[in-house]
Amino acid sequence: MSFKRIYAIIIRHLYIWPRSLERWQGSLGWPLLGLISWGMTMSFFQKNSSFGFSIVAFLLGGVIFWEFTSISQREISVNFLDEAWNKNLINIFSTPTTAGEFLLASVILGLIKLTVTMFIMLSGAVIFYKFNIFSLYSLYLPFLIANLLMFGLSFGFIINGLIIRFGYGAQELAWALLAWVSPFSCIYYPLSSIPSWAQKIGLMLPSTYIFEEMRRVIMTGSMNLSNLFVSFSLNIIYLILALLFFRWMFENAREHGRLVKLN
Amino acid sequence: MEPIIEVKNLTKKFNGFTAVDNISFEIKEGEILGLLGPNGAGKTTTIDILLGLTKQTSGEVRIFDLPFEKNREKILKQMNFSAAYVNLPWRLKVFENLYTFARLYEVDDYKKKVDQLLEEFKIFHLKNKMTNDLSSGQLTSLYLCKAFINNPRLLLLDEPTVFLDPDVADLTKRFILKKVKEEKTTVLFTSHNMAEITELCNRVIFLSHGKIIAEDTPVGLAQKIKTCKVRLLFSVSQEKVDSLLTNYGYQYSLEGNEIVIELEENKIGQILGRLSLAKLKYSQITIEKPTLEDFFLKVTRGKI
Repeated sequence: MSFKRIYAIIIRHLYIWPRSLERWQGSLGWPLLGLISWGMTMSFFQKNSSFGFSIVAFLLGGVIFWEFTSISQREISVNFLDEAWNKNLINIFSTPTTAGEFLLASVILGLIKLTVTMFIMLSGAVIFYKFNIFSLYSLYLPFLIANLLMFGLSFGFIINGLIIRFGYGAQELAWALLAWVSPFSCIYYPLSSIPSWAQKIGLMLPSTYIFEEMRRVIMTGSMNLSNLFVSFSLNIIYLILALLFFRWMFENAREHGRLVKLN
Repeated sequence: MEPIIEVKNLTKKFNGFTAVDNISFEIKEGEILGLLGPNGAGKTTTIDILLGLTKQTSGEVRIFDLPFEKNREKILKQMNFSAAYVNLPWRLKVFENLYTFARLYEVDDYKKKVDQLLEEFKIFHLKNKMTNDLSSGQLTSLYLCKAFINNPRLLLLDEPTVFLDPDVADLTKRFILKKVKEEKTTVLFTSHNMAEITELCNRVIFLSHGKIIAEDTPVGLAQKIKTCKVRLLFSVSQEKVDSLLTNYGYQYSLEGNEIVIELEENKIGQILGRLSLAKLKYSQITIEKPTLEDFFLKVTRGKI
C-alpha cells in the first residue's frame, strides 16, 4: 500500500468537489432536503396525534442514520463511475496503483465527504427540530455509526464489482441497489411491523439491528448489546465477502478487457 | 544486453475470438519498436496486456527481466503510456491532472518536473486551464506530458501523434529520440503514419489477425516489396500509351494526369526503351522506391 498513491486519488476528487454542483447536491442537497421534508411532515403528525414518544426523533433518526450507509456506499460507487466516465480507469490502473489502494482512497474520500454532510445535517436537525443525536445516543453513537458505515462500504464494493464486470449497464445500481434493501432495513418502522417473509430478509441485514436499537434507545433509553454484536458480526462477514467479490470481478474484468472498454 | 520486454507465446482470446495469436518478441534497452498492423490486428490488445489492464489467455510476459503478474507495481512504476483513445479527467485543470499522475507514480519534486514538461511540449501557458477547454492537439500534448512524468524506462505509445499538427508532432518525435539517446528509454510505438514509423523505429513488428507476419527494420520490410512505381506524364495521346502498356502486359493505373506503372526495378530500363522505340514522349518521370506504406497496403490487401 502506498499512501502517496492513496493521497493522489483522494486529492484528485477533492480538486473537483468544490466546483461540482451535482456533487454538492449529492453530498448536501439531497440529504438536507430529506431532513427538511421528513422533519416537517413528522412535526405535523406529532402535533395532530397522541403518540407517547417523539415521532420526529423516530423518523429523523432513521433519515440521518440511513445517510451514513447510503453516502458511504454512494461515494465509493460514484467516484469509481467518475473515473469510468472520464475514461481514466486505464490511466489509473496502468500506474502502480492497486485496486486495494483505489478502494481505500474511495473509502477515505467517502468519510471526508460524509463528515461535511453530517455536520450540516446534524446542525440542521438541532436547529430546526431540536433533535440532537449526540445527547440522545451518546456513547452508543460510534458503534451505531460504525456498523452502518461498514454496511454501506460492503454495498459499495459489491456495486463497483458489478459495474467493472458488467459495464455501464450496471451503473444505475450505484443509486438503486441500496434503495431496494432499505425497506427490509426497517429504517422508519419496527421489524415486527413487516410481514414475516420480509422479517427473515431483515434479520440478515446488519442495518436492521441498528435501526431496532436506535428506536429502543428512544423508547427505553437503553440498548441491547447482543444486537450490536450480531450486526457487527454480519458486517464483518459481508465486508470480507464484498471485498472478495470485488477482487474476483476485477480479475474477471481484466480477463474480459473491461478495464479498457467499460461498456 | 538484457531485453526490457520478453513476450513468449502470448495469446488472448475474447469469447472465442483470438485477438492475439501466439506471438513472441523481445525489445532491447534503448530500442524503438514499431507495432504495425491494420485495425483489429491485435496491437492495442498487446499493449493492454503489457500494461496489465488485460490478462492474457496464455503465454508469458516479462518486463525488466521480471514476470509481470508477480511484479506489477515494481514494473509499472518504471513504465508509462499514452494513447489517442484515452482521456484525462476533463474537469481538472492541466496542472491538477499532471500533479495527480506524478503522485501516482511517486515522483519526487514533481512540481518542477511538471513545469519542465509543460515547457518542453510548449503548453506551459495552459497550466491553469481546465482540461475540458483544450483542443485535441493540446490534449495530446498533455497526454504526452503525463507519459513522461516519471522518466519511464519503458514507454508504450499507441498512436500518440494522431491529433497533433506537424510542428508539435515533429517536436514530440524529437523529444522521444532525445529521451532514447540520453536515457536509453525503450519505446513500443504504434502509428498509422508510416513515415513516422520509418523515421523513429529501429525495428518493426507487423501484426495481422493477431499474428506476427513480418519482423524487420522499416527499410527491410519495404524491401520485401519487389516492385517499384514509375510515374509518367505524357504529352501524347493516352490511347497509344494504353495500347503499348496493355500489349506488353504491364500493370498500370491512371492517377490524375499521370500513368503509374508498377514493375520490378530491373525492368525500368526495358520499359523506357520500349516507350522510346514507340516514340511515346513523356514530359515528366518519377521513380518511386517501395516504402513501408507499400508493404502495409500489400499486406492489408492480401497481396503478400
